Amino acid sequence: MKTIRKREKPVSDSRTRLLGAVALIGLITAGCAGDAELDTLQPQSDNARDIDTLLDRVLVIAGVIGVLVLGAVVYMAKKQRVKSYDGDDEFPEQISHNNTLEIGWTIVPAIIMVVVAVLTTVAHFSLNETEANAYEVEVEGDSTSWEPKIVVVGQQWWWEFRYYFTEDVDADFLDDPRNLPPADIVTAGQMVIPTGQEVELLVTSRDVIHSFWIPALNGKRDARPGFFAPWEISADEPGVYFGQCTEFCGLSHAKMRMQTIAMDDADFQNWIDEQMVPQSAPPEDPDDPVSRGATAFLANCSSCHLVEGFNGDEDIAAAVVSQAAPNLTHFASRTTFAGGILNTYTEDGEWNRDDISQWLRAPEVVKENYANGLPDGELPRGMPNLGLSERTISDLVAYLETLGQKPSAEILAATEVE
Amino acid sequence: MAIIEEPLALTSGEQHAERPLGVLTRPQANGSWKDWVSTVDHKKIGIMYGVAAMFFFLLGGLEALLIRTQLAFPESGFLSADVYNQIFTMHGVTMIFLFVMPSAAAFANYLIPLQIGARDVAFPRLNALSFWVWLSGAIFLNTSWIVGGGGADCGWFCYSPNSGITFSPTNGVDFYVIGLLITGIASLVSAVNLAVTCLNMRAPGMSLFRMPVLTWMLLVTQFLLAFALPVITVALLLLLFDRQFDSQFFDPEAGADPLLWQHLFWIFGHPEVYIIILPSFGIISEVIPAFSRKPIFGYSFMVFSGIAIGFMGWGVWAHHMFVSGIGPISVFAFSMATMFIAVPTGVKILNWLATMWGGKLNFSTAMLFAVGTVTMFTIGGLSGVTHSLAPADTQQTDTYYIVAHFHYVIFGGGVLGLFAGVYFWWPKVFGHLLDERRGKIHFWTMLIGFNLTFGPMHVLGLQGMSRRINTYSSGFGFEFWNLVATIGSYILGASVLFFLWNVYKSKKEAPNLPAPGPDPWDARSLEWSIPSPTPEHNFDEIPVVESQDDWWFRKYNIEDDGSVVRISSAEDAAQKGDAVGVHLPSPSFWPLVLAIGLPLIGYGVIFNLWLCVVGGLLTGGAIYAWVLEPVDDPDADGHGHDDHHDGDDPDGELATVGAAGDHTEGEG
Repeated sequence: MKTIRKREKPVSDSRTRLLGAVALIGLITAGCAGDAELDTLQPQSDNARDIDTLLDRVLVIAGVIGVLVLGAVVYMAKKQRVKSYDGDDEFPEQISHNNTLEIGWTIVPAIIMVVVAVLTTVAHFSLNETEANAYEVEVEGDSTSWEPKIVVVGQQWWWEFRYYFTEDVDADFLDDPRNLPPADIVTAGQMVIPTGQEVELLVTSRDVIHSFWIPALNGKRDARPGFFAPWEISADEPGVYFGQCTEFCGLSHAKMRMQTIAMDDADFQNWIDEQMVPQSAPPEDPDDPVSRGATAFLANCSSCHLVEGFNGDEDIAAAVVSQAAPNLTHFASRTTFAGGILNTYTEDGEWNRDDISQWLRAPEVVKENYANGLPDGELPRGMPNLGLSERTISDLVAYLETLGQKPSAEILAATEVE
Repeated sequence: MAIIEEPLALTSGEQHAERPLGVLTRPQANGSWKDWVSTVDHKKIGIMYGVAAMFFFLLGGLEALLIRTQLAFPESGFLSADVYNQIFTMHGVTMIFLFVMPSAAAFANYLIPLQIGARDVAFPRLNALSFWVWLSGAIFLNTSWIVGGGGADCGWFCYSPNSGITFSPTNGVDFYVIGLLITGIASLVSAVNLAVTCLNMRAPGMSLFRMPVLTWMLLVTQFLLAFALPVITVALLLLLFDRQFDSQFFDPEAGADPLLWQHLFWIFGHPEVYIIILPSFGIISEVIPAFSRKPIFGYSFMVFSGIAIGFMGWGVWAHHMFVSGIGPISVFAFSMATMFIAVPTGVKILNWLATMWGGKLNFSTAMLFAVGTVTMFTIGGLSGVTHSLAPADTQQTDTYYIVAHFHYVIFGGGVLGLFAGVYFWWPKVFGHLLDERRGKIHFWTMLIGFNLTFGPMHVLGLQGMSRRINTYSSGFGFEFWNLVATIGSYILGASVLFFLWNVYKSKKEAPNLPAPGPDPWDARSLEWSIPSPTPEHNFDEIPVVESQDDWWFRKYNIEDDGSVVRISSAEDAAQKGDAVGVHLPSPSFWPLVLAIGLPLIGYGVIFNLWLCVVGGLLTGGAIYAWVLEPVDDPDADGHGHDDHHDGDDPDGELATVGAAGDHTEGEG
């Protein structure tokens, strides 16, 4: 993959358009926005562009109306102002109504709204057409025609992404978000898609309502427990696109983020190949921190977290309210963890020991949760503080680094938010 | 004017019991604090609504400042996520249910009877009940900070299943549910009372289409309340049963659809927006003509567009749910409906501008606030149109762009309008003016603070900043505008404190200044035809209304050539306020007692069901005593003084303060 976070339009362009609309509040927005990773005005896909175009047109109409109204007020304030009425018995002409005029300015706004309605209707129905085409991928050596479809599952406070390459994913297949059929690839915090492909999403939740949103690629769609909401996403260019849960979902709503990585075809195929490989137990060696870390993982983490090929299969019983914790099989192949708020690698591309250790040491400090000190019978929500020793933490950090392949330097660079 | 010497006769010919159950009497007004807690006077009740609403405005404002302080800088640790969630929830709930709605109730209570030429509302004791029940609910809601383990943490919209017992195990949500149920009772009772007042208590000649626009907008508001509150009441009761008695209305595990709550909430919640904004539209429709020296332009268009907004407001609720997954056809239908509600709203804006057009504009403080309302609401309305584009809303919803929008509507359109009303009617209520120079400083600081606070939120939202996040990371471009918004919010807060100082100073200076007289603004409606402050009996004589803007036409005549000729000074034309022996309803303590019972029932539901028995006995006993208490105090002395209350009509109190003002005919 070559291009990362390409800016199709110069930043000043979208600022200027924005300015047209908000100039009426007297704001000078130019030059202050800089690089906004979640900007809704820098679309990077067809859908996001359609939305942006529609908004631009209506912002112009709204801006003109706004300027006219405010201009009229300012004009009258200048021309018709009197200091007081003391001793002034002269009155302006007492006009109480003018039906023609008033019917006129009922009809004119109605006509403007008809124009807006037509623009909206066209955009709305084209956005709700799914155009996912079959896409050839190789799965375990076999070429498969995949209708790009990813199941997106929200829970407090992270996102899971599930890939089914061979099954026909529909509502019958997926009837319960809490008990989904085993998937070919399960990842967390980061969704990987092929560039230039319409990818269908089925968005759902295991607990409360969340909302899945990658502003550069499309609008948002709520993740509702018990339902699979269809949505669509695509990216023009390879890159890392940021998102944030936008439906208030409880305590750490602010710290529920996600990324979409668009890869070109070859990189995407490599990614699939890498993700399909299960892990195996490292050889036992008490002097090797990785080996000790694996043992510590079995002792401390494995009742919730899964490393496929090591501590079980998909039916792991997670002892949390949502019945799910992030699948860690390819933890080191992701650039982000803890619900998309921390980076797995540092700015220099090194394994981020500090943040990962801190997360294991005191997750509730990094991200507030309800996991410790709960009344009897209440299941945790979020990662509990397990009271791990510093040695165990360091062993676990070493073990986690072995889970999967380090992402490419371009992706690592693009994950940094400046 | 009939002088009443005896309690009103019952149509059945029965005699009133003198002391039912041997103990029940009616209290008398004697100038002590008890006058306030037992009052049934719409003016005193209106003032109490206003004072209490102002208190909650300060509380909600404090919560807002805490929010802005937390968000001033990225990754701030000023508030924990838990406390932040409680505070933004309570900020919304407080501002909507405990500030804007009761402020509108304050204006409605005080002004509807005056504007239609009545001596009181239709059911004075029910009116007192509305206030006390609302206040008890408001206090109950806020006691969750002390006894409920914190405020509700589910947002004012309190979506299920996040509001369920699993995801919100503290009692905050229970306080939210029961508190809103109690304040809902208050609003519902008040809605019926004020609607009946508008429809039945109008002075002779005051036809519906001679009512001032403010009264019209308040009437529409009462109908919205009467139909919207039952919906939220149902939703709240279902949630209460889910949380307290293990029912499963909103539990997806049991097959429930979380959209049920969303639909119920927004079927209430969207008309609620118009409940908040229409009173303010009404207020500025009074203020702008007075300070333009012209009649309101297009009275009938103003009234009908208000009614149209009232109707259309019921057909747009799902625009809050464009990304909920309600299906593309539903989204399309609600998107279209939402767009076209912009038409009657646009008509209103254009009519206000046309009222000003060609007029002599006197930018008093009230006028500044009114024009501020028109312009700020226009901005909020236009950004509202951009949300009605369903595709664009998928980007905007739940971002700060929405926060910007609804603050421009609710603060810019609603609260600035309320302040216009405060400055306009202050002399009528308190008998002295608020200082204009300080008022203008108040206006400009508030306008600047408001725009600095909420203007940048448009940018933040379009840059992708989500709502309801307790913190944000650096690097997303959110830092600068968040800091600006926080600075703006402090300016806004300072402007509110400056207003209070203006209130204090103006009162202190009042004795040294000339009295404002009955009609300081040369205004148009009936409340200006009586002395300031309003005498307890309102009108010496119930006026006979001959035209729209009847009071103005008692001062001026429009000649055939269109010129305006003064025919009388306001002082000469105004009533003197010296009538004696006017028959007014007697005070009563029972509305207060009844209201105290309700929060006890609420605490009982949450903590111990036995408390419900205590609260139930109090409420039930108060209803019993209310029904049986005598129409007036048999020991009361003569009937010669105008603030002496005597007589009440057990037939529903309607006739007591009958519109005709002639009680010998009134009670049939």
